[in-house]
Amino acid sequence: MAEFWEFIREPFFITLWIVAILVPLLLGVAYLTYAERKIIGYMQVRIGPNRVGPRGWLQPIADALKLLMKEIIVPQNSNRFLFLIAPMISIAPALAAWAVMPFTDRLVLANIDASLLYILALTSMGVYGVIIAGWASNSKYAFLGAMRSAAQIVAYEIAMGFALVGVLIAGGSLNLVDIVQAQQGSLVHWFWLPLFPLFLVYFISGVAETNRAPFDVAEGESEIVAGFHVEYSGMAFAVFFLAEYANMILIAALAALMFLGGWLSPFEGTWFESWFAWVPGIFWLLVKTSLFLFCFLWFRATFPRYRYDQIMRLGWKVFIPITIVWIVVAGGLVVGEVGPWFN
Amino acid sequence: MLENYLPIMIFIAIGIAIGVLPVLAGFVLGPRKPDSEKLSPYECGFEAFEDSRMRFDVRYYLVAILFIIFDLEIAFLFPWAIVLDSIGMFGFIAMMIFLGILVIGFIYEWKKGALEWE
Amino acid sequence: MGFERFVFYVFAVILVYAAARVITVRNPVHAVLHLVLAFFTCAGLWLLLEAEFLAITLVLVYVGAVMVLFLFVVMMLDINVSPLREGFVKYLPMGFVVALLIFAEMFMVLGVKNFGAQAVAIPERHGADYSNTREIGNVLYTDYVYPFEIASVILLVAIIAAIALTMRRRPDTRSQDPVAQVAVRREDRVRLVKMKTEEKSG
Repeated sequence: MAEFWEFIREPFFITLWIVAILVPLLLGVAYLTYAERKIIGYMQVRIGPNRVGPRGWLQPIADALKLLMKEIIVPQNSNRFLFLIAPMISIAPALAAWAVMPFTDRLVLANIDASLLYILALTSMGVYGVIIAGWASNSKYAFLGAMRSAAQIVAYEIAMGFALVGVLIAGGSLNLVDIVQAQQGSLVHWFWLPLFPLFLVYFISGVAETNRAPFDVAEGESEIVAGFHVEYSGMAFAVFFLAEYANMILIAALAALMFLGGWLSPFEGTWFESWFAWVPGIFWLLVKTSLFLFCFLWFRATFPRYRYDQIMRLGWKVFIPITIVWIVVAGGLVVGEVGPWFN
Repeated sequence: MLENYLPIMIFIAIGIAIGVLPVLAGFVLGPRKPDSEKLSPYECGFEAFEDSRMRFDVRYYLVAILFIIFDLEIAFLFPWAIVLDSIGMFGFIAMMIFLGILVIGFIYEWKKGALEWE
Repeated sequence: MGFERFVFYVFAVILVYAAARVITVRNPVHAVLHLVLAFFTCAGLWLLLEAEFLAITLVLVYVGAVMVLFLFVVMMLDINVSPLREGFVKYLPMGFVVALLIFAEMFMVLGVKNFGAQAVAIPERHGADYSNTREIGNVLYTDYVYPFEIASVILLVAIIAAIALTMRRRPDTRSQDPVAQVAVRREDRVRLVKMKTEEKSG
């Protein structure tokens, strides 16, 4: 018995850890949908959901329960196996990427050396869920949506990859903990300043990668109804939804880690530093992540949808040249040891 | 190094489980009343004319091929970015030549109109 | 060591199974997905060898990019597979001969004599702070700079070949030229004319 416990102990604690990451994450997803409806509601001078529970606080739970009780329709002539496996393929990488996410310098589940590369590799697998869902549905709308979204994700992934190279040059490591620690100092030591173009490119590519407005031609409800998941209903749809929002939170958290100093206090290096020393680092990370998430929602309320050729033009002809130029600049700064960031 | 990958393995397994369990629960808890209208593919008020899996513009393949090439380029840039400190000027110039050759390819694409979406 | 060996055999079995399914399964899309699985488990095996960077890059490049192209192709060309299978039995003996030849050649190069435990010492396990990527970077851009530059030329050839083979401008499409749109000046579009107010006649 004791031997068995010895063998199972580590996986057991790891599983507890994973649950401790996933439960807040999934709750975050649920309340992100609530925040989305409320914020966009207020931006449009409505009040958003307000019936279920006080001020509509129980709305996401009611939505989840409703979706749970709905029939899962598998359309005829669809490829049944692929149709049902597609949501799984899109959620697994979206969640597994969180394995290497550092919450503070010691609070990290799997502190692998190549954590950023790992996240990039896993997010690049998200496209499979979309393509397979679109193809297996045997619906023209789904197929068109899948094709659009695949070509779009692919184009912006390159811009995103190049932007990450800039972060690596500045941080001098592939490890997210090291990257955040390289930003220590003060607000102007964070990488948003020396890598400002890459910061913009990264975040906008992130919006495009998650198929969010204004890059949501893959869903384009006014033309192809809902894109690749038009045939999905009930829980199968909910899983896609979950994956999309989990990816949004991932992109926002990564942007906070790589460009806004992660868990570092914004008052570092100022007079107020000691006033806020009691605030745990994870709080700052949460604030910064929420800031980016708010931008996701704000974009959706503000910008009209891009046309498809404009999206491809922005990805290939604007972002890629910008990132290549800035990689050369950042590389030159590092080799030339230009301060205050690179000496 | 390997011990760090055990949590990742477990995490991927749990991620897959989170994909499977809700769908299973949906099948158990949801109703199941199929009829041919409900199961037909979504269309705007008419029967679907043909199989939806049609041929596609060759442009999509071109995009995919270019994507592979640029992805490889990124894979080459990653190790370079983190050792730039230690390999210094020589490594910097080596990468500039590499990037320069690929920028030629990029300009070629651009001028040929391969990046145009019409 | 025990657990690691167990993981190795699990991955190896999955890899062999997936690779076999790639060539035996009927539906080409399923075949591609099995190939994805094969690459994925292969990455797991490389990880066991502590080739961290290569393993993740395998997922990034092959699973994330190359197989996406494969999926595009098999999904959208709607190839009829049955005629492709007709000659299967006829070509089978020939295939066996080629496979045996390749196996023999690989065995001669990679066999126990050259890469066995006697010839190459079993590498030591590295500690937790070992950075595989850094090791690669330190040699790739200095000692192996020449093959590295050649790689860029090969990629350039690939870009040009892909465009030369697939690039066709369709004459019948209507498209906008955003550069021309942005460059429009007021003078080209609008002409302001000064004129006297007309008298109301009658």
